[in-house]
Amino acid sequence: MQLVWDNAEFLLRGARYTLQITLVSMIFGVLIGMIVALARISGIRPVRWIARFYVSVIRGTPVLVQIFFVYFGLADYGLRLGSLTAAYLALSINVGAYLSETFRGAILSVPKGQMEAAYAAGMTTWQAYRRIIFPQAARVAIAPMGNTFIGMLKETSLVSTIAVTELLRSAQLLIAQYYKYTPFYIGIAAMYWVMSTLFSIVLHAVEKRLSKAY
Amino acid sequence: MMIRTTGLSKSFHNHEVLRSIDFQVDKTEIVVLLGPSGSGKSTLLRCLNGLEELSGGSLTVNGVDVDSAMSHREKNARFREIRRQTGMVFQQFNLYPHKTALENVIESLLIVKRMPKADAVAAGERLLKRVGLAEKRDAYPSRLSGGQQQRVAIARALAMEPAVMLFDEPTSALDPELVGEVLDVMRELAGEGMTMVVVTHEMKFARQVANRVVFMDGGVIVEQGEPASFFQSPQTERARRFLNQITGERGDKE
Ligand SMILES: Nc1ncnc2c1ncn2[C@@H]1O[C@H](COP(=O)(O)OP(=O)(O)OP(=O)(O)O)[C@@H](O)[C@H]1O
Ligand SMILES: [Mg+2]
Repeated sequence: MQLVWDNAEFLLRGARYTLQITLVSMIFGVLIGMIVALARISGIRPVRWIARFYVSVIRGTPVLVQIFFVYFGLADYGLRLGSLTAAYLALSINVGAYLSETFRGAILSVPKGQMEAAYAAGMTTWQAYRRIIFPQAARVAIAPMGNTFIGMLKETSLVSTIAVTELLRSAQLLIAQYYKYTPFYIGIAAMYWVMSTLFSIVLHAVEKRLSKAY
Repeated sequence: MMIRTTGLSKSFHNHEVLRSIDFQVDKTEIVVLLGPSGSGKSTLLRCLNGLEELSGGSLTVNGVDVDSAMSHREKNARFREIRRQTGMVFQQFNLYPHKTALENVIESLLIVKRMPKADAVAAGERLLKRVGLAEKRDAYPSRLSGGQQQRVAIARALAMEPAVMLFDEPTSALDPELVGEVLDVMRELAGEGMTMVVVTHEMKFARQVANRVVFMDGGVIVEQGEPASFFQSPQTERARRFLNQITGERGDKE
């Protein structure tokens, strides 16, 4: 274990990347997820089809393939992305598809009478979504969103394959240097666990806040 | 004339629910809509403020005309205008569960009318007081009884200072002992000269408060008249049968 302590700084830098990739992908994922969720419930048929196709492709293919496609595949077409940028892009697109399903379900779970009450009070569709539907959907979405979030934290380890020195790759580099596996893997497992537990606590607090009216 | 529909029709898929309805409501008139389940009462009410799309005909509410032949966009704009001048109260209250009583009442003042917060709060407190719920201003709907929720919903509908109030079975979801407090608020409104269209099965309320009773069946207006004559000597067989049935079921209450 001494080895882990000696290299704590290096590992913590990896953990910082893991966290950073998770947060950035999550933020863009939430944005993509919201837009795609709205597209999927929109009245315009082609828009709905495109959104459905996107979700179906992303959910039907391995994340690793998506990461390789963004990093190596796009390079074939002259779009050479840095490995970190590719990681952000691939994971945002991936998590956006899953979140769009969560958001769509949450929006549809709000009783029809809510939209009618908002309309009857003179609101536009957008005002009704923003003030009445979304806040109620958020409460429903927060728990599954938290699961996606924690899943994302762990999935970031896959971008070690495109040479992003996040937590897993940091450990692998150290292993290559010291020829010792166990302490490093236990060390990073503990760090993943601490990070996901912290997320859980924060999300639980948010969920409680959103539910205070119920 | 506050409301006038001309040849108003509504179909769901191929099922014709309203058949060329001509219906008028005068200013300050209280009209009660009666009729068996499925006769189209709710649909008529919901067509008036555009919650249901019209299949045919036209209507005017407080001077705003809508014709089913207008473009989608035009109809939307006009119904939004109508909704600003119309309050609606639903059977299931439909309060916003994530907002307090006061926030429910002032929401459209803030969002639709863009009233400054302080003015909206003052107006909201006045309205809650008017329905007897001043002390519940910070309570969430989940903490209110059905009767209290419905009174908040009435206050919310009144916030926009509507020219007409539409009620769709406002007391049907309430426990019997809570019906009275809601009807009292509605009586008060009627006394203040509000124009009201009320779908209800509360015959006593209809008899005492309505200026006119409109009886619907099968998507048409079968008969209408003053409550006294309608209840004592209905002119059509269908109305007679309906009244017998309903007094049979609820005879003890009348
Ligand atoms: N959204 C809808 N889609 C399909 N059919 C509908 C819809 N809304 C109402 N209907 C049908 O229209 C008819 C009239 O319904 P409506 O709700 O207006 O009746 P009502 O007189 O209000 O009845 P109740 O006393 O039960 O409330 C019914 O046959 C109903 O099944
Ligand atoms: Mg009805």
